[in-house]
Order: sequence, then C-alpha cells, then structure tokens
Amino acid sequence: MRTIVTKTNKNNTTTRGEQPSRTTRVTDEITEDGANVTLIETGTGSDATGTTDGAATLTDAATMSDTLRDATDAGPTGMRVTKRNGAVEPVDLNKIVNAIARASEGLLGVDPMRVATRTISALADGATTRELDELSIRTAAGLIVDEPNYSKLASRLLATIVDKEVRNQNIPWFSESIKVGYESGIVSQEVYDFVDANAPELNAAINSDRDRSFEFFGLRTVYDRYLLRHPERRDVIETPQYFFLRVACGLSTTTEGPSAVDEAVKFYDLMSSLAYLPSSPTLFNSGTTHSQMSSCYLLDSPEDSLEGIYKRYTDIAKLSKFAGGIGVAWHRIRAKGSLITGTNGLSNGIVPWLRTLDSSVAAVNQGGRRKGAACVYLESWHADIEDFLELRDNTGDHARRTHNLNIANWVPDLFMERVEKDWQWSLFDPKKAPHLTDLYGKEFESAYLSAEEQGLFEKQVPARQLYSRMMRTLAQTGNGWMTFKDPSNEKCNQTGGTNKDGSPRVVHLSNLCTEILEVTDQDNTAVCNLGSLNLGAYVGTGAGAEATEFDFARLGRVVRQVVPFLDRVIDINYYPTPEAKFSNEKWRPVGLGLMGLQDVFFKKGFAFDSPEARDLSARISAHIYFHALWASTELAETYGPHEAFDGTRAAQGKLQFDLWTTPDGNTVNPPAELDWDTLRDRIAERGLRNSLLIAIAPTATIASIAGCYECIEPQVSNLFKRETLSGEFMQINRYLVRELQACGLWDERMISEIKQAEGSIQGIDRIPEELQEVYRTAWEVPQRQLIDMAAERGAFIDQSQSLNLFMETPTIGKLSSMYLHAWKSGLKTTYYLRSRAATKINKSTAPSGGTAPTPEGGAPTETKTFTDEEAMACSLENPESCEACD
Amino acid sequence: MALIDPIYTDDSRGVDTELHSLNTTVPVGDARPKHILDPGFDLTLRPMRYPQFFDMYKDAIKNTWTVDEIDFSDDLVDLDRKLMPAEKHLVSRLVAFFATGDSIVANNLVLNLYKHINAPEARMFLSRQLYEEALHVQFYLTLLDNYIPDMAEREAAFAAVENIPSIKAKAEFCFKWMDSVDTLEAITTQEERRRFVMNLICFATCIEGLFFFAAFAYVYFLRSKGLLNGLADGTNWVFRDESCHMNFALEVVETVRKEEPDLFDERMEADIRAMMHDAVDCEHLFAADVLGEGVPGMSLKDTREYLEYVADTRLHLLGYQSEFGSKNPFSFMELQDVQGLSNFFERTVSSYQTGISGDVSFDEDF
Repeated sequence: MRTIVTKTNKNNTTTRGEQPSRTTRVTDEITEDGANVTLIETGTGSDATGTTDGAATLTDAATMSDTLRDATDAGPTGMRVTKRNGAVEPVDLNKIVNAIARASEGLLGVDPMRVATRTISALADGATTRELDELSIRTAAGLIVDEPNYSKLASRLLATIVDKEVRNQNIPWFSESIKVGYESGIVSQEVYDFVDANAPELNAAINSDRDRSFEFFGLRTVYDRYLLRHPERRDVIETPQYFFLRVACGLSTTTEGPSAVDEAVKFYDLMSSLAYLPSSPTLFNSGTTHSQMSSCYLLDSPEDSLEGIYKRYTDIAKLSKFAGGIGVAWHRIRAKGSLITGTNGLSNGIVPWLRTLDSSVAAVNQGGRRKGAACVYLESWHADIEDFLELRDNTGDHARRTHNLNIANWVPDLFMERVEKDWQWSLFDPKKAPHLTDLYGKEFESAYLSAEEQGLFEKQVPARQLYSRMMRTLAQTGNGWMTFKDPSNEKCNQTGGTNKDGSPRVVHLSNLCTEILEVTDQDNTAVCNLGSLNLGAYVGTGAGAEATEFDFARLGRVVRQVVPFLDRVIDINYYPTPEAKFSNEKWRPVGLGLMGLQDVFFKKGFAFDSPEARDLSARISAHIYFHALWASTELAETYGPHEAFDGTRAAQGKLQFDLWTTPDGNTVNPPAELDWDTLRDRIAERGLRNSLLIAIAPTATIASIAGCYECIEPQVSNLFKRETLSGEFMQINRYLVRELQACGLWDERMISEIKQAEGSIQGIDRIPEELQEVYRTAWEVPQRQLIDMAAERGAFIDQSQSLNLFMETPTIGKLSSMYLHAWKSGLKTTYYLRSRAATKINKSTAPSGGTAPTPEGGAPTETKTFTDEEAMACSLENPESCEACD
Repeated sequence: MALIDPIYTDDSRGVDTELHSLNTTVPVGDARPKHILDPGFDLTLRPMRYPQFFDMYKDAIKNTWTVDEIDFSDDLVDLDRKLMPAEKHLVSRLVAFFATGDSIVANNLVLNLYKHINAPEARMFLSRQLYEEALHVQFYLTLLDNYIPDMAEREAAFAAVENIPSIKAKAEFCFKWMDSVDTLEAITTQEERRRFVMNLICFATCIEGLFFFAAFAYVYFLRSKGLLNGLADGTNWVFRDESCHMNFALEVVETVRKEEPDLFDERMEADIRAMMHDAVDCEHLFAADVLGEGVPGMSLKDTREYLEYVADTRLHLLGYQSEFGSKNPFSFMELQDVQGLSNFFERTVSSYQTGISGDVSFDEDF
C-alpha cells in the first residue's frame, strides 16, 4: 500500500504539473489531489476529469482580474460543445478562461483573456471538447510572434491534454504504461521484465515538471510522432516523461546488476533535461519489440546483375521500414549502351533502375511516422553522370525523373584538379572499368590515367562543363550534393588496413545526410546510430564567475556518459539484414553529434563568424572528440577493442586531427588543455571499442524536440515557419525578441518590418548595429566563413558533418567558386544547397510593400478612429496594448 | 523592316532622320502607342517601354513547377481517416470552386485583357500567366480525379458551377464583369477605358485577390492542422503564382494611372468600393456554404472579418483607404507570410529556382 501512495503522489504531480512554485493556492491543490486519488483507485476517468475542471473553476474565479470577470460574465455565447460521453451542453466560458489562466501562470507577457476570446470566436457550434482543447492550443500557438511565452502556454495546454489521454486509459504511473504497451505487443519482453522488477524506483524517477522544458513545437512533435500509441485505440499510452524513461530502460536491460536502474534513471534525467537526445530511430524504437535504433544505413553499389540490383531493392525496403535512412551507391552498374551478354541487347543505363528504386522507397512508410528516404551516390566518372544529374529536374521527361530520391556526387580529387586546369574529363562504363570504384588516392589516379590511355572511356567532356552541370543541379534542386571521395577515404579511421584477401578497404559513399563515412562492400552494409548534444544547455551551467561561460566540464561528463549508451545500441539493435549486423559488430561505429551551436552564440552574444565564435566552435568539437575517445578506451578496457581495431589508423597512433592540415599546410594542434598524450597512451594500451565516434547529423526533428537551432547551422531566419507532417508552426527567434524587448523595440511595427524582410533585421535602423551583426541569418553570413569553420571543426570529426550552404540567388560562378573552396579546405562532404524562391508570396497579414503601387503622395495614411464596438472588441482582445483607450 | 526598332519614338527627343527616311512603310513616330491602353499590336521590345513587366516575366519563369512533383498519397489517407465530415464538406466545395475558378480567369485573360494591354513585354507576362492558369487547372483536375474516385460524384464536382448555388453566384459575379468588356474590340473612349480598368481591377483584386485568397485560407487552415499536405503544397505554388498575377495587374493599373490620371476619379473609387462590397458578400455566401457544417477553428464570423480585412488590403494596394476596418482574425494566415523551412523527411521544398545563369569561375564572392 505504501508504494501505491508514493506512485499516486507522483502521478498527481503529472496531472497537475503546472505549478513549479507552490507558494499560492495550497488548499486547492489538496482538493485536487483528493480528486485524483479517487481517479486512480476507482479508474473512472471522466468523472475525475470533471472534478479537476470544477476545482479549477472555483479556484480561479477568486483570483480573476476585473477585466476577466467582466468578459466572462458577458453572457452566454449561444455555443454548445459535445462532451466525451456524447452529451451536448452550452459552452462554459469560465471553464475555458480558467483553464487557460491556470496554464499561463508565471508566463510574463501572456494574456489569457486574449487566447480565450479568440478561441471562442473561432469555435463552431457543437464542437467536441477535444476540438475545443485543440483550438485553444492552436490559438495560443498563433500568438508566438507577439510574445514567445505563448509557446510555453500552448505547450502546457497540450501537456494537459496528453496527460488526460493517458490517464483516461487507467495508466496512472510509468510501470503501468509499460505493462499496457507490453500487453498490446509493442513493448519488448526484456523491458517489461526490467521495469516489472524495478517498478518502485523507476516510477519514483519520473519528474513531470520536466514537461515544462518543452517549447510548444517540441511537445507537439513528441506527441504527434514519438509517444507510443495503443494499436487499436490509437491513443497515446505514455506521457513525454514515460517516453524518455522507456527509451532509457530499453538501453539498460543488458547491464548487469543493480547499477542498471541507476544508469537508466541518470540517462532519463539527462534526456528529459533536453541536454542530449538520441536520434529519432532510437527514440521511436528503444524498448519496443522492433528495436531498430540506427539512423543510417550505407549500402555498397549492387553488383552489376539483375539479381544484384533486385537484392538491393529488397535490402533497402527492409532497412527503410524501421526508420533507417538509406545511402546507396550505384557505381558498379553498367552505363547506357553497354552490352548485355545474356540477351545480346544493350543496356538502358542506370536511370530505369533508379526509377524503380524511387517507387520502392516512396512505398515504404516508416510506421506511418515518416516516409522512407534514400540518397543515391554516383562517382563522377560514371558514363551516365549527365542523366543522373537530371533525375531531380522538374522539367523534361518524367519517365526519367526520381522525385523521391536524393542524389549526391562522389567526386574524386582528380576531377576537381581537372576543373581547375580546365582539362578534359573521361567518362567510363563500370562494365569496362570495374576496378575504379574500389580505389582512391594515388591508386585511383594511376588506374584512371591508364584506363584513359587505353581509350577505355565512353566519351570525354570538358571537366568544367560537367562541373557547371553539377552546380546547375544544386541551384535548381538543392540536390546533387558534393561529397569528396579522396578526403573521405584518406581521413577515415577504417581505411588503415586491408581486407583478409589484401583488397583495400574503401569508403564508397556517404549516407542520406552526408555525415556518415564508413567502408562498405558486398558483405558489409555500414550502420550508424546517432545522438546529439544540445549545446545551448551547456552555457551558464557552471558556478560563480563562470556563470555565462561554456561549461566544458559538464560537456565532458555528458560525453562520457552517453558514449556507452550509443555503443550499447550496437548489441541491442535489431538488424534487418545480415550484412548490416556483420559490419556493425566488426566496426562498432557510433556518431555522437551536436545541435544548438547557434544557441550558444546567441547566449554568448557572438556573431556567428566572429573570431570568438570560431574558436569556441572548434574547441567544443575537440572536447567532444577527446572525451568520446576516452569513453571508448574505457569500454575497450571492459569489453575489448572492436574486432577490426588493428586495421584502423588509430591503431597506428593517428587520430583525426593528425590527418588534417591547416590552410597554410601546418599540422593541426588540438587544444592544449586536454591531455592528448595520456589519451594516446590509453588507446595504444587498451585499443578502442568503436572505430568511429563523431558525426554531426542534421538533427532536424530532435532539435525541434529540444527547442534549439539545428546542428551547426546559423539560424535561417529570425521568423519562419516549420512545415511538418503535423502541420505548420510559427517560429520566432526568442533571443532576439528578448533583446528587442529590453530596448523597448518589440512592437507591431517591428514584427511587420521583419516579416516584410523575410525574417532579416539587417538595415532596420532602430536596431543597434551590434544586434544586427549577431542576429544575421544564414543567408547573411559569408559562406566562406561557414566552410572555414566546418574545416576547423572537421579536424575533430572522424566521420563528417551535414553542412548546408546557403545562397539567396545562386549563379554558376558563385557556386563553382564556393565548392572549389570547400574542396580545397579539406571538407569530406557538403549537404544541401539552400536557395530561395525567385518571387515571393504576397503578404496577407503584413502591410504590402515592394511592388505594390502607391498613389501619388505616398502610402495611404490611416487615420484611426474607433467605434464603441471596436474599442470594446479591442480591449477584450488585448487590454494592455489597446490603442483605442489611450 | 517594320519590325526594326526605332531608336527614338518620342518627338520631343528628336527623330533620327536617316532612319526615318529608310523606313517608308510604317511612320516611325506612329509606330508605337503612346499609352499602354492605346489600341494596336505593338511588336517592339527595344527600347523597352515597361521593363518592369519583362522582369516580372523572367521571375515567373524561374518559379516553374509541375503537377507531377506533388505527392497526393497522404491526402487520400487524410480524407479517408482524419478529416471530420464538416471538413470533408469544406474540401469538396473548395475543390469544386478551384476546378472552375482558374478557367474563368484564363478566359478573361485571353478574351479581354490580352487584346487591350498593348505592350509586347506585358503580353509576354500574360502569355506566361496563361500557361500558369492552365497549370492550375491541371493541378485541380488531378486533385479532383484523386480525391473523388466515384465517377458520378466527380462529374457533379466538375459541374459545380451549374449545380452549387454558392459557386454559381461567384461565377456570375465574374461573368458580369467579363460581359462588361467582352464586346469591346478596341478601347478608345474614356468610358471604354474605364470599363476595361474596372475589369482588370476586378479580376486582380476581387477574383484573384479575394476569391482565391479566401480559398487559400481554407487550405492553409487545414494545413495548419497538418491535413492535406498535397493540396497545400500545390496551393502554395498556386498562391505564389497568383501573387505575381495580382502584382502584375496592379502594376498595369498603376501604369494606366500615371498615363491617364483622369480616369481615376471619384466615380471610379466609388465603383470600386461598391464592387468590393459585392465581392465580399458573394464570398461570404460561399463561406456560409463551405463552413455550413460547423468547422471548429473557422467560424463564419471570423471568415467574414477576414474577407473584409483582405478587401481592405486590396483597397490599400489601389491607394484607397479602408472600407471595412477589419483585422485579420486568422493567425494561421500569418504562417503564410513567413519563410518555410522543410526537411526532406517531410514535404517538398518549394523554393528552388529553375533559372540559373553564369559560367564556371573561381574568384567570385560567396
């Protein structure tokens, strides 16, 4: 009985979950606690919900301001709502106002009445209570631009709904959620047993106040896509906190002894603080019956045969099904016009095969949560390269287009050299030159030159003509990513040795997001599971004088905490194909990355490309690399080095930065505050448990959950919207709003000006110049600096980074200069080229400018007069900033 | 020879007499219309009288998209499982309107506008616009074919303009303003030009600028809830195109205003205001039908306010003061004003350019 009481209290915190400080209204809370205890013991969901609402009404009526009371007393709306049990009753304004007012507590600048009146105004007669709830959330979310705290309000309102949904299924605590999941066949036996054996400790670990860490978009994403749902009812069976603990438990069942619970709880605590998040597949699948937790799969080119190609389709479908992103090379498939010996016909080349792949990828739906996605890599010497570059065009023959596939160039150094020299470039049919794809560096160069001398090529083109075509594809589609074969191989830890038969180990491609680089062949499908540190969470966490500094000590601790969890995924993971399992167990690669670099700079007040920012960015990556290696030596001490350790560059004493040079050709010196010598000794002594440790993924979705800027990217805009499967959401730069509020500059005119300028604040004279500098967007930061920063960081990234580049209006000249610089900087890969639409949509809610004609005498001058009705509506809408009343 | 461009057309600048003497068939001074609405078929692009129209044409080319790029597969799942009956009704009305709306605009363009806007660069834009209207028709055709599997039901949707009173009323509004000019072979008198300008303003601000913008609001409402992404993706592109069409038409109006300021008298303003009222009422009637089954999040009251708000912004664009003084009640429309950020797991990115120029070089700034 005592344990039940404990759990009950925990649960009550969740249900209420809205007051971090409990200085007021203690009595009311006790009343509610009573109500909820009833809920738990009798399991009558709707009654208790009613009771809770009733309590809120009584409570808040006493604290309402006069304005609020007047408005709510204004009389019946004539609207009705349909309750869960089907009963129709009049809309109770008080209930709506009170629910919103409660959730607004402690949120500066939030006006609950404004949300309530707007919600009611948009209501349709007879709507369900659920629709009413949804509407109030969307209304709050719609005000985020005026005041970022509305995001927190929307998030809290949503948290209440999620909580209700879980409670209504008689799930009062964590272990019950796991039990329901297990009984409906979603949660694994191992996790069920683990939780069952440790229920009291695990239930007690839940901290529902952590729900308050979410911004609205983050919680919405978690609710829409990450929380486990009952297979038939489709209701979520876990709260956000249960979800984090479920993920933690899924990665703790293999640990021996009592420390397992302790580890799980600590890992839960880390994730729920949003300071670190594993990648989406881990969040989706950890602890479930389909524990496929890896983000990326890299498949070698199919062999040049019908069987080989169809086997690849099957592999890709299997890997894609459980949320893995696919990279696949197509280097080995014969080109157009090549002889097919079996039938004495001529091949149609790679395009028809990629069309089939396109359809196959689109058909695989990753558990309804997102569509399958794949990127095809092709070496720049392949004779079908020109057709390949047209795959994403939106003009021409649609029978030769693949709208679902991403495409990437796998570019040898020799090609870039010939572009520079303006020489000819030879294109080969892999059927006649099958060896080229398994070579890199000097060996590739001599094999290429000799094939050229023998006249084995299909045709020759000016290298610049092909390069120009590549640039055009980037500008037109954002696709056709430039990834560089030779640096990718020469700076890869896995290419330090040869296979048993003496053949070289070769990286043949990168992955869907160009941050993973691992060797592949017909028996090895490379796999990587990822996680990302949310860097903003490490600013100002230190004590005293260091309060605004970046907390490197905490960063180091967390890196050492999470590497074992990434490593563990390798053993627990479900592998859809034997090649993936084989490769992953041999190499044990993981990809620890980061997100929110921009948040760090905003918090520190650094311009993105300032010397301070550049220095900090490289130092952060050096620290992550150092501690990740250290953690891997600790794992090696316990479990032994990974099987192929002897064939790695690390085994020869070469770390990633030893393989890089500075722009002036010097060796790279890692930060001296870290003890690299001791680390090297440890590696020599114990080996490494993981062949690769660092990869910076785009973090699109998990950055949303964490509420931070993606990956290593500058902000794309101070004001933008996110378009996702769960709808559109406005995003405003909170840091900027706070700065402008402090200067008294955040007003409707400012919002309108920023909207007009597509989220830029450059040239808005009222804003101080230093702020304009700090709050530039990705379009306004010189891309040369982004590339240089990526290279400086790259010396501490043993795989690669998803580096998007931005150019408002691309031209072939600008692009060719930029990508040449990227290559010369030693970057292994680049990702999307982002450009912007040539023409803009007319603003429907901001005053039109630009092309709109104005009559002689300039813009129309609005003389504002207000009728009584308007004044009233206005004061209801926003009493604090009512222009009619001043 | 007649096609060769005279260097100077305006007498005040002086005519090149040598060139003049060579050109015997067409008198140089008369070769080019003085005003954009002067009747005729000017074929001369240099010197260009209205380079802004040519720029608009080039920008439009850069935003080429095709229906094949749009993925409707999620929409069908949404229609099947996620939409409430009231929302389904909304969608069926909406698509029925779209299916005919763009065709009407295209017809007006060919039959009434092209004939009288006498500048080759402006006609280039109109030709491009015509293609875009056809593309929109194709988009909504594909949409209807996908959304309505039942043949009889599909036929009924395409016949919406006959069967559905609220759509019929909108079409009649359009036809009324088309009829006002379709008998004009050439617009020479001030009165004829007035009629023409009213037609132009009507199609830009009431039909494309209000009927379509209202329709977009329904789509964006659904999208703000994460529904019908295929419809929203295509509509996003249509929206972008329509924005350009409206801007073009307003630029023509502005050109006429500069050239013939007398046309824009008080009577014109009063007529435009009356026309706006008609349009808002007409669209309100449609909204009452579309929202008839009660759509939470879009009340008829808010929609009326939105229509009035849009109408006011159109009046502002024409240089007039507000007629209604309404505020925008739809925060989801604000979402349409800001730059979107898509990632490949989710939706098609709609902002890439198709026009791209230049040569390989290594010393440009980036």
